[in-house]
Amino acid sequence: MKYIFVGAFCAMAVLSVVAWWWQPSQRDDGRLEIVWVSDDNPVRREQIDLFNELYPQYRLRLDPQNSGMEKVIVQCLAGVGPDVFDCYSGFQLASFVRSGIARDCAEDLAARDIDIDAVWPALRPLVVHEGRAYGHPDNAHAPALWYNKRVFDAAGEPYPTGGWTWAEFIEVAKRLTVEDERGRLAQFGLMMGYGDWLDILVAQWGCDIYTPEGTRCTLDSAEAGAAVQFYQDLIYKHGVTPSPVQESAMASAGGWGSGIIALFGADKAAMAIGGRWWLCLLRNPDFGKLPLGAVELPHGPTDRVFGGGRSTLVNAKSKNIEGALTFLEYMHGPAWNNLINRQADALSPVMKYNYTEEFLFNPEHPEEDYNAVWRTAMENSIPRPVSPYVHGQRVDRILAKQADLVRAELKSGAEAMRDAAREINEAIIEMLEIDPVLRERYYEAVAKGAPAAWDRPEDAP
Amino acid sequence: MRSKRTAVITALCFLLPNFLGFCVFTVGPVVFSLTAAFSNWNLMKTVPLQFVGLGNFVKLFTEHEFWLYSINTVYLMMGMPIAIAASLFLAILLGQKLRGIVVYRTLFYLPSFTAGVALLILWKALYNPDFGPINVIIETVLGWLHVSSVDAPTWLSSTKNVLSLGVEKVGLVAGQFGLGARDAIIMMGIWTAAGGGNMLLYLAGISNIPQELYEAASIDGAGKWAQFRHVTWPQLAPTTFFIVIMSFIGGLQGGFEQARVMTMGGPAGTTTTLSYYIYTKAFEEFQIGYASAVAWVLFTVIFVVTLVNWRFGSQYVNE
Amino acid sequence: MSTSRKRSFGEWWFRKGRFGASHVLLVCVAVTTLLPFSWMVLASFKSLDEVQGLSPIPSEWHPENYTDVVNSKDISFKKYYFNSVFIAGWVTLLACFTSSLAAFAFARLEWPGRDHVFKLYLATMMIPGVVVMIPNYTLMVALGLLDSYIGLIVPAAFTAFGTFLLRQFMLTIPRSLDEAATIDGASAWRIYWDVILPLARPGLIVLAIFTFMGNYGSFFWPLVLIKSEHLRTLPIGMLYFDSMYGRQTNLIMAASVMCIVPLIILFIVMQRHLVKGIQLGAVKG
Repeated sequence: MKYIFVGAFCAMAVLSVVAWWWQPSQRDDGRLEIVWVSDDNPVRREQIDLFNELYPQYRLRLDPQNSGMEKVIVQCLAGVGPDVFDCYSGFQLASFVRSGIARDCAEDLAARDIDIDAVWPALRPLVVHEGRAYGHPDNAHAPALWYNKRVFDAAGEPYPTGGWTWAEFIEVAKRLTVEDERGRLAQFGLMMGYGDWLDILVAQWGCDIYTPEGTRCTLDSAEAGAAVQFYQDLIYKHGVTPSPVQESAMASAGGWGSGIIALFGADKAAMAIGGRWWLCLLRNPDFGKLPLGAVELPHGPTDRVFGGGRSTLVNAKSKNIEGALTFLEYMHGPAWNNLINRQADALSPVMKYNYTEEFLFNPEHPEEDYNAVWRTAMENSIPRPVSPYVHGQRVDRILAKQADLVRAELKSGAEAMRDAAREINEAIIEMLEIDPVLRERYYEAVAKGAPAAWDRPEDAP
Repeated sequence: MRSKRTAVITALCFLLPNFLGFCVFTVGPVVFSLTAAFSNWNLMKTVPLQFVGLGNFVKLFTEHEFWLYSINTVYLMMGMPIAIAASLFLAILLGQKLRGIVVYRTLFYLPSFTAGVALLILWKALYNPDFGPINVIIETVLGWLHVSSVDAPTWLSSTKNVLSLGVEKVGLVAGQFGLGARDAIIMMGIWTAAGGGNMLLYLAGISNIPQELYEAASIDGAGKWAQFRHVTWPQLAPTTFFIVIMSFIGGLQGGFEQARVMTMGGPAGTTTTLSYYIYTKAFEEFQIGYASAVAWVLFTVIFVVTLVNWRFGSQYVNE
Repeated sequence: MSTSRKRSFGEWWFRKGRFGASHVLLVCVAVTTLLPFSWMVLASFKSLDEVQGLSPIPSEWHPENYTDVVNSKDISFKKYYFNSVFIAGWVTLLACFTSSLAAFAFARLEWPGRDHVFKLYLATMMIPGVVVMIPNYTLMVALGLLDSYIGLIVPAAFTAFGTFLLRQFMLTIPRSLDEAATIDGASAWRIYWDVILPLARPGLIVLAIFTFMGNYGSFFWPLVLIKSEHLRTLPIGMLYFDSMYGRQTNLIMAASVMCIVPLIILFIVMQRHLVKGIQLGAVKG
């Protein structure tokens, strides 16, 4: 028996040596490593390779599995964080700053001649917090309407030219919604990206989600309710876009990117609302040289649109600050910006690179004659409203839940928005109760006349 | 003669490695999490650390998410009696002296032994509403019967359930009747557990029943069913008692792996059990204080339920 | 007249019919148990289109699914296997060793407070794992052991269950052996190492098997602790593999088969011990 113990111990000791030897090495090729936490979009490969080419003293490496604001914060605090990480909203930026892991780069950027005002205005909240810059935006995104020329041709419809209202749109979409032999709807007039529709419609109907200071959620307004109801009507009254059941019956797929894109690429819809970044997937030869067109979105009561994007921030506890800042420099320069435009990872963050001939005409993809549409959408976009007084992810969850119920026809648009507003306001109150610093600022704002999140004084935190 | 002091030192030497680890990784954490449950700690330093007294507990009891998830947890335990009955049935089946019975026993134990992420992923593929063999078979059968008004259930993407529970608030909602994610998980759970450890326990229990009892019963004219009711079942009472208690303890803490691997908490939160809720609060939002409070509430529930089972069950066993 | 017919049916049932019915039932249950497994194995050899079709048996066999999984650039399956076995091995070794030492202290040595401390051990066994994992995680964060082998191995090695099980075993070993050894002048360590340990072998085997199995498939702790791809264990690797390649059911099934086969082999080899162990553990508990 005892020999078994001793033998097992020796075996484990040997395995330990193997484990230590099998670890990936930090800098075996003489280059200093920079770790970047981002998503696993296939275009990152080229973005990283280009950086490594331009800056041979560094080796940039992607870590796609640890994104998520809280995870990044905790890992950075525990000393196992990356050197640079992505940020998706102003709320995330604020959280990163408050937890102390986002590095204030204002001076570093100035020292490297990086002018933050050269980026699209809609991207500023992703990088600038209370006047200080903490990183650099990666790309810029605003939605417009894709259409599949093949489907239009098959139905004998003329291509859309823009400048149209939703009512006109619905007429066209109805003509493009077709049943198959089994009587099931096989092709729809329209697909809408899963999360986007709420933002897009709410923006167009004129609602700002929050009051200007962010102190109260205003989704319980008539405009927001009407916007969401319009979406429900698109599914159930006009029948031009699929319900969740119909969508899953069309065999959606997993993997990176929404299943919507795959369905659109498989000719299951004539039109789809999405971003220029869809090209990353749609250029794939699996979709058989899809003849695409793009046009601005139909107009609602207004034609506002929320723009956004992604930014990359520097970990204050990184052991390779120089490398991280070099990465920011890279993102401000022509190599990165032109690459983004070529790859169609939405649009380049620095505005001037979207006004070049190179942007409008890409020799590798001559059929993409619609790039100006995306630029116009970006010009018309405003930053997506965010409230500093509530957890962004929680808001997303609340909205997603209500969106699910609306899509499944379990609630009307107005009801759903009222409930969403109520829950978001409750979340604001909860946040204020937990956080004394925020509470102070909130009361200051309220004292200056901002509407509060509660209706009855006794609910105040 | 060894003095008492030497005895203590000797004991310490033996005990120390395990006891030290036990204190650092079990006792310490228990005390720590009890303290944390009364604070607002969130591990991210975005909010100053404060003692909040019963604040976390008040919050969790007034938030309707906690009650929804508790209902989910209890709902998933509905398969428990079925699984236990199945284990008993299989044990009786395996107790007969037939050829190759050991092969069957090995086979039945297989799902339980290989349980883990790989099996969960397998069942996720089986339940796929379009390509999974389960729905393929259902649709084929429906096709033969020429029934076109009924669709195969969408399983893991459906919030429907056998009790017509609503999604947002606690209560019954018409139109929610059907087979959905929770039912899928229950069925998978029964398949996994029927031939598992409980079956082996029942087998051992059955083999311990003296034959004379059966002989006496049959002399008294009792048929097979009566023999089961009056001999087998009462004799197995202690085993059943143990199994029920362990099942409750396991069931109340369970549902995490299924939720994390198959549904990520389920369509609209319907497969989120209390343990999954604690996981998301603690390891995705890093709300350590709040998550600890929920964990302690769960522990208290388990404790009380076990006590009740013990009291009630002991009486029953001793009759 | 009717009673005699009923009795003869009952007799037929008792003699023959019952066995036939039992056989049928056994076969039915066996088929239900095996169906998912067989689907998994067959699917792992199919091409992607076929997996989504109706036919159970692949028309062409694609064993390259397995090589595709093993050679995949994003998923280092071999590393995950190694990690699972490595971590489970260390935990098992540590657990068996320290638990047997502690069980000896509880079962054989006299010292003040012994029974109270043991009750403490018992009490903690009822606490749900999740209560303890949260503080353990924060401890790992504070110590900087997040995302490390040590962090994965050490906290898992100290459970009260091992001590409890082995103590029960040791209590059944007759004390006369101890006394004989003491008379021969043996110290406590000698008694432990030469007398008790060999006799506690069945218990140790059961503990080893359960600990290894439990840690091989351990999901929660590696899930929260691991950040880097090269440290992933098999369950975590499977999880990420499914989320990245979920569409390719045939590859996923091949990976699942590779995960499960070692368990099946272990099971068939260790069957006797396991069955006995479960029954023993429950009876004594």
